[in-house]
Amino acid sequence: MGSDESYNFVFKVVLIGESGVGKSNLLSRFTKNEFNHDSRTTIGVEFSTRTVQLDNYAIKAQIWDTAGLERYRAITSAYYRGAVGALLVYDISKHLTYESVDRWLKELFDHADPHIVVMLVGNKRDLDTLRTVPTEEAKDFAEKRGLMFMETSALDSTNVENAFNEVLKAIHKKVASREVTRGSICAVTLSNPTSDAQEGRRNCCKSS
Amino acid sequence: MAKIEQGNGLDLRSGTDKLTDNGKGSSYVSDPEVNGVPGETQVDKYGFTGGAQQHTGKFAEEIPIEVLRQREAKWLEMLNSWDKWMAKKHKKVKERCQKGIPPSLRGRAWLYLTGGKVRREQNQGKFQELDSQPGDPKWIDIIERDLHRQFPFHEMFAARGGHGQQDLLRVLKAYTLHRPEEGYCQAQAPIAAVLLMHMPAEDAFWVLVQICEKYLPGYYSTGLEAIQLDGEILYALLRRVSPVAHRHLKKHKLEPILYMTEWYMCAFSRTLPWASVLRVWDMFLCEGVKILFRVGLVLLKCMLGSQEKLKACQGLYETMELLRAIQPQYMQEVFLVHEIIELVVSEKDIEKEHHAQLRRWKETHGDLHCKSPPRMHGAKAIMTAEPPSRQDLRQRPTIIVESPLAPKTVGEREEDAKESGKTEEEKQKKTIPLPQETVIPYRLPTDPSPPLKHVTVQGSKESLSSAEHDTYL
Repeated sequence: MGSDESYNFVFKVVLIGESGVGKSNLLSRFTKNEFNHDSRTTIGVEFSTRTVQLDNYAIKAQIWDTAGLERYRAITSAYYRGAVGALLVYDISKHLTYESVDRWLKELFDHADPHIVVMLVGNKRDLDTLRTVPTEEAKDFAEKRGLMFMETSALDSTNVENAFNEVLKAIHKKVASREVTRGSICAVTLSNPTSDAQEGRRNCCKSS
Repeated sequence: MAKIEQGNGLDLRSGTDKLTDNGKGSSYVSDPEVNGVPGETQVDKYGFTGGAQQHTGKFAEEIPIEVLRQREAKWLEMLNSWDKWMAKKHKKVKERCQKGIPPSLRGRAWLYLTGGKVRREQNQGKFQELDSQPGDPKWIDIIERDLHRQFPFHEMFAARGGHGQQDLLRVLKAYTLHRPEEGYCQAQAPIAAVLLMHMPAEDAFWVLVQICEKYLPGYYSTGLEAIQLDGEILYALLRRVSPVAHRHLKKHKLEPILYMTEWYMCAFSRTLPWASVLRVWDMFLCEGVKILFRVGLVLLKCMLGSQEKLKACQGLYETMELLRAIQPQYMQEVFLVHEIIELVVSEKDIEKEHHAQLRRWKETHGDLHCKSPPRMHGAKAIMTAEPPSRQDLRQRPTIIVESPLAPKTVGEREEDAKESGKTEEEKQKKTIPLPQETVIPYRLPTDPSPPLKHVTVQGSKESLSSAEHDTYL
């Protein structure tokens, strides 16, 4: 996955949400343009990358995916470490998966960086006829909580690019506004402006 | 990961951009069960039509058929007096597991090794009772979402609503009823699926129970503490086995939970090529969790054990990627089994490290929330803890044929050879007629039971669409 590509930033984005909402297929659709009805249950951590052009910058999106089942939340702190963005996914045809969103938000704020960019994603928009979560309702909810919002379909690709691109743009904006310090070797993290906010070199992540 | 693997160039269910119905039922394209079109899908000898674990034939260990027959005879002998073998000749049992259990007897051997056979005999009617209940809708809902996501490239589980998926539901549902405080954990599905490839649902259920209770207690419980602890044990053991790899993981703060979770929770069934999965399971079910530790250590050492290999690995992410794409030569059956046997990591080492890590855990996390019973390190430990009666171990065939001393018709020989969980290639092997002079190796040693008679074959109640009968000769 492109260690010979050059990029200006690496942004770690995590996919979270209930089991079966389509996280793995959002990942594969975005990074490989693939979709599979029978993709395997995620156990442990899956990940993939894709480099996109935003304005004049090459952004390497490092997308992480994990099991959605309740039980697995016990092992998530390593998962969230260094994440600057999150897609909180629910299934528009399964209202229960939308009802868990608050719980997921709580988990995010317990384990992830406080400045993390979050987008609420209503996936499976192709199942509009089986919809149980009205778009407007979810949109309002997202606004109240300060989350971005989009409805997607990993199956027919609707809005998948948009969703990831919007999140990456928002992260980049935060980075550019200097709310950031450099984290580990190649990843950018967002943290308190109390630390050194002056960013000199921005092409830290050209691979050596 | 939703990798689209095209086995043998065939376009099997490659869902790329295919718009289908709302996913509520019909499988499409070349579904052998639905379309009944033979010859469109190529199935490997394990049942895979595609995917990363499909048999390539490269580096395969092919056992000559005479050797296989001899091993089968030995295993039949062992199974016939299992308690004696386990009590007095356990070393031999272990060796034979290391060599690989003959495919025709693998299911039965696993049933005996795990003590699943004993549980089944001591709980007759229990599975049927659980099977007949509707189950907690909360668990059923989650399980149903997973049924088509286990080994989708395996012909047994490919068909939506097919008997493989149905049996998977039955087994997993029964477990949630058997242990309602535990419920369902997603990694149990691949474990159950592997078992179902080798034995009927009731047996698979009891073996699953044994794995969850005895071999890997706590792995599938809330909090997943046991798996985290084992991750720390693995990391600690790595220091001795490969200091270079250990240092690298430390430097990049790559926590064990980020790479070993799927390995351990699925007992490597999603990681290794299939031939290797079966060899590892043969040893794991005989010797216990130390086998899983050895596999993990071997893979880590092979992938990260030298400076040369680490050159490509600049950071945490790159290391994770490397561990996710283990080079085939390190996972190949002969190589891997040899490395596992040679690696000096014992139960004592694991227990010692377990105590150390538990102490550390308590310092940082407080007491364990989920107190599991101590694990049993393999078949002998299980048997010693709960010695079964002879009755419990008695094989109970559901097909009985005339005594092997009488000359057989071809039909009867074919009947003899049929066994559960077989595949095309094995079927072909079995119809090779035996020369009359050969001593038929399936003659049973003297046995107090009455002379064998023809009885009406009973249809198996376990498999829902039973064109084949299960055979427990």
